[in-house]
Amino acid sequence: MSNQSSVEILTEWDIVAARQLGRNVAKELGFGTVDQARITTAISELARNIYLYAGQGRIEIQQLMENGIKGILIIAADQGPGIPDIRKVMEDGFSTSGGLGAGLPGVKRLMDEFKIETIPGEGTDIRATKWLR
Amino acid sequence: MEIQGGLRQKMNKQMAGYIQENNTEIITKWQELMKNEKNDRSFQVMPTDLMNQTSKEFADLMLSNLLESHQAYETRLNDFAEKVVRLGWSMTFVTKAIDHFSEVVFEGMEDAGLITQENFRGFFKEFNNWIIPIRDSTVAAYSKTWERTVSLQKIALQELSASLIPVFEKVSVMPLVGTIDTERARLIMENLLEGVVKHRAEVVLLDITGVPVVDTMVAHHIIQAADAVRLVGAKCMLVGIRPEIAQTIVTLGINLNEFTTTSTLQRGVEQALAWTNRKIVEVDEQ
Amino acid sequence: MNFRIPILKLRDTLIVSIQWELDDQTAIQFQEDLLNKLHETSARGVVIDLTSVDFIDSFIAKVLGDVISMSSLMGARVVITGIQPAVAITLIELGIRLEDVMTALDLENGLDKLQLELEA
Repeated sequence: MSNQSSVEILTEWDIVAARQLGRNVAKELGFGTVDQARITTAISELARNIYLYAGQGRIEIQQLMENGIKGILIIAADQGPGIPDIRKVMEDGFSTSGGLGAGLPGVKRLMDEFKIETIPGEGTDIRATKWLR
Repeated sequence: MEIQGGLRQKMNKQMAGYIQENNTEIITKWQELMKNEKNDRSFQVMPTDLMNQTSKEFADLMLSNLLESHQAYETRLNDFAEKVVRLGWSMTFVTKAIDHFSEVVFEGMEDAGLITQENFRGFFKEFNNWIIPIRDSTVAAYSKTWERTVSLQKIALQELSASLIPVFEKVSVMPLVGTIDTERARLIMENLLEGVVKHRAEVVLLDITGVPVVDTMVAHHIIQAADAVRLVGAKCMLVGIRPEIAQTIVTLGINLNEFTTTSTLQRGVEQALAWTNRKIVEVDEQ
Repeated sequence: MNFRIPILKLRDTLIVSIQWELDDQTAIQFQEDLLNKLHETSARGVVIDLTSVDFIDSFIAKVLGDVISMSSLMGARVVITGIQPAVAITLIELGIRLEDVMTALDLENGLDKLQLELEA
């Protein structure tokens, strides 16, 4: 089973739209309040990265069902400049935008699975999954 | 060598017949073999009548696979597997039991002249057809029962883990018992914070007297929990630090300087009361 | 779309209760409004109540952290109240500790704490 919906990220307001979509899907799937907050926050971080670094991109939310376990998949995709050094951005405290540097490692901690693919000059594709326990 | 259906049936019948006729003798021999299993003491420590009963059940199970319908055998197998798990038999022990049983029957039938040079290959194949499915399904039934036991224990562990107990107004205690893994740490954190807000606790004491090992991971979870407690607007204190825990914490270079720690719950409670501008006083008897 | 978060004054304290999801613009607007109000009223304390906020990301956390530092430069102490358990857990997992921030369980506790702090 896979059910999807997505939000194009062009303006700051789209960040709000993306996390509201994520929250609704998470709620519908039966996630508790803590997990809802984790998922919403992860989406917000990913959408903001797109807005700040790539200028535009897309957040896609998919409902998953694997071996009878429900889950939510967040895909953040853009055709931006890509990330030259993934190891570095996955280190705590690294940030190029003057934020708190929580960014990607924080997202990884909030979710159960985290995968990042990036090609400098072509774009970035991040997939983060949370399973309903 | 292709064995004809009729011949197979005949062999099966012979095997079943032999087991039924020599039941007592087979069981005695089999028990001897099992008692000599050095690595597993299940049989040495079992009371004689229980051992005899279990052995009888086991023999019936082995026999039923030759005689009864598949369904009847399945039911019997499941019952047996559950029982064996309860008795604490290991999986190795159970498979040994199956092997030894077929060994005893095979040797017995050889001695009785039922298995000869000529039909040896045929019987050998028939024995395999008999034993292998039993072994497979025992292992399957066994691990199913085992998995269920594990998941039940996991639930039991979760139930036992971490509830926040209000002891005074504004002061609550959370006793932690047992090993803390990532999943439990999350549950502890959620219970802790929700409890703090619900009971309006201004100070919570995390009591780790019952936590056997505090390594870097556990310490990290505790620090995170304390940080989160501070965010919701309360104070967290770590109590019940035993000497060996203090030693490991320092040896591992874990920094707990940022929060208050005490050795006993009693001293923790006193400190918590002081923080909330109260103290315990003795009252003179009238 | 220009929401403004209302800032109330009670004696020498400013009270802010955030009642809806903060978008970036509102957050930045709030920062500006609060500093202006501090300047106008020369209040010595601020209580920001987050009871109705069900999520805070690193951006909003940074705005809040900045507000606290800026207010302290202007001579006011800030207490954050009513952070929900889910929000606290998410912040910690994100790696945001909000270290030197005063917190309290609710508005009432927050006002008490602030009072003690200002008397000291």
